[in-house]
Amino acid sequence: MTSTEEPVQEGLRPVRAEAGETVEVRFTVNGTPAVLNLPARVTLADALRDHLGLTGTHVGCEHGVCGMCTVLVDGEAARACLLFACQLDGAEVVTVEGLGRPDDLHPLQESFGRNHALQCGFCTPGFLLSSYDLLSTKPEVTDEELPAELSGVICRCTGYRNIMTAVSETRAAHPEGIPEPGNCARRALVGRSGGQSATVVEEPAEPSGETSRNVEIVLPEGDPTIAVQVDTALDVPFDQVWRVLDDVHVLARCLPGAELTEELGEQLYAGRARVAVGPIKLSFHGIARVLEQDRDTGTIRVLAQGQDTGGAQTQADITLRAHATAAGTELRADAAVYLTGRIAQFGRALAGDISRRMFEQFADSVRQAATTGEAPQQSHAAPSAFRMMFGTLLDRIKRIGRPRGGKS
Amino acid sequence: MKAAPFAYARPAALSDAVAELVDADGGGKVIAGGQSLVPVLAMRLARPTTLVDINAVTGLDALRTVGDRLEVGATVRQRRVEHAPESAQVPLLRLALPWVGHRELRSRGTVCGSLAHADPAAELPAVACCLDAELTLTGPEGERPVRAREFFDGAMTTALRPEDVLSAISFPVAGAREGFGFAEIARRHGDFALAGAAAHVRVDDDGGVSAATMTAFGVSDRPVTRDLTSLVRTTGGDQAELAGALDEVVREVVDTDGDAHASNGYRRRLLRALAARELAKAHRRAVRGTAEVES
Repeated sequence: MTSTEEPVQEGLRPVRAEAGETVEVRFTVNGTPAVLNLPARVTLADALRDHLGLTGTHVGCEHGVCGMCTVLVDGEAARACLLFACQLDGAEVVTVEGLGRPDDLHPLQESFGRNHALQCGFCTPGFLLSSYDLLSTKPEVTDEELPAELSGVICRCTGYRNIMTAVSETRAAHPEGIPEPGNCARRALVGRSGGQSATVVEEPAEPSGETSRNVEIVLPEGDPTIAVQVDTALDVPFDQVWRVLDDVHVLARCLPGAELTEELGEQLYAGRARVAVGPIKLSFHGIARVLEQDRDTGTIRVLAQGQDTGGAQTQADITLRAHATAAGTELRADAAVYLTGRIAQFGRALAGDISRRMFEQFADSVRQAATTGEAPQQSHAAPSAFRMMFGTLLDRIKRIGRPRGGKS
Repeated sequence: MKAAPFAYARPAALSDAVAELVDADGGGKVIAGGQSLVPVLAMRLARPTTLVDINAVTGLDALRTVGDRLEVGATVRQRRVEHAPESAQVPLLRLALPWVGHRELRSRGTVCGSLAHADPAAELPAVACCLDAELTLTGPEGERPVRAREFFDGAMTTALRPEDVLSAISFPVAGAREGFGFAEIARRHGDFALAGAAAHVRVDDDGGVSAATMTAFGVSDRPVTRDLTSLVRTTGGDQAELAGALDEVVREVVDTDGDAHASNGYRRRLLRALAARELAKAHRRAVRGTAEVES
């Protein structure tokens, strides 16, 4: 029963699916093209959360009353629970993840924080996108009109006064118009429910090299979330170890779960890393710049920055120092790791343990590579969560069991 | 709160959409914006076997003036009508649209969809009745026109048959000596009205009232329209006098029992106040003769 006529609206293709079948949806989410195959009854809110891993869009009443799930569809605020994802073929969707970056929030987000408009935070994504839509389409809105204009979202903490102050303040600070969403660019979307496809449309990465080249990795101010120092004694001569450290490709493959995808020139590299810890699966896409690579001092220093779809961001300043000893080579890794987003919610001790273990695995791979002259082969797989967790736990048990000389 | 499974069809031609509805044999339902339909599906109050999405149908997104009528196609979003220069010629539509749901709902919700859903407390059916708009229903035998005042049969019940698509609505463009008013009371701005009134007044060249209409909504199982020409003429459009004179009309028009939100008596008081105020406003605007929307 599908017509052969050309569809009028670009992207909205005629389709016919039985109740048990899926419908292909091609749309753009936060600047990233995505293709999903979904049953027609799946709402946009569920598609974003369950199939694209974008859990910033909250789900409340699921029948259009509370406004928690408000997102931008083709630039206008809409309730994601009142849209079937299949209806958005060809549409452009912006979620709260696309509004600002953890290290560079949108002015509205800044203002919500400053004015204590966040409260429990559950309504915040809805309020942010509803007020973004308001200020972008009606910049002349008065304070008196705000209660009615913002009535599409309910705050269960009743933080309305602060929310209105935040919106009013943002409007006053940007009389020339509110800035566009600041985090809409082509990036990886992490499919989260096994078996459901969440594909990023593959296109030649034309300007990505250019843009990446101009990206500077700036470490956040303040103390790192985790500081790791790992010393390893390798029974391999210095020259052989340095040969591994000197070759970025081999070096990258020694890092568990890491993969180097692109050389951007000027010692800048793009890559991805996957980390799995129990049910938590993070897939980072990022860049790394080699700042120092000096054979005389045996030092290599790398700044790295990675981001996953959930807004988790990690930055690291890593220094590796190798020096010759009588038994072979002493390898010291110093890493200052900065975490934001959901990975920062882990207990820091556990995150530190995991980082330490990753460096130990790394040192082990370096030894292997230096000995055999070959890079480890299995490094593209995510490091086994089981092994890492088990190793971490085992270490802790060992430490508990061991009598401590200083305290006896 | 998830919709039950359904077959999904998104045809590119209106005839295909109608054919899908015929095939579904009473189990089909049309979706455009879905802002009223999806909650009903989510709560499983409706379980259509086939959802016919008309958003890809050629020509249904037309919003244009044809002679002295404004035509609004089935997939024209409410928010587009709210801001389109064409719709300024139908001031009552412009006055009413900000009351329809919230901005977030008007982004996707359509004018025709709201009419087809026929919620007794909805704004756009009242506007259509007040202006006596003309609806175009497209079925297997082709198009047929239906007047808005004959379209609504009761709560969520209309002249639409299971295989019909409400394909367009046309509103009369306002003349220079016509004025309009629209207001409602809801517990939260954007929610369904406890009571609301749409008003239309036309005056002749020497300022005498030649026509006055009030459509009440949220107070019965459908929008209720009354010709109040003589009432507005005798009161001269004075709000206080109108409020007094409206007593009888209001008592007859409000025929719901009380519910959790408002008693029958409260609805009558609301409607009387709103109708008097909006009729007075419509009268002032008609006399001023600018067909303006602002107070």
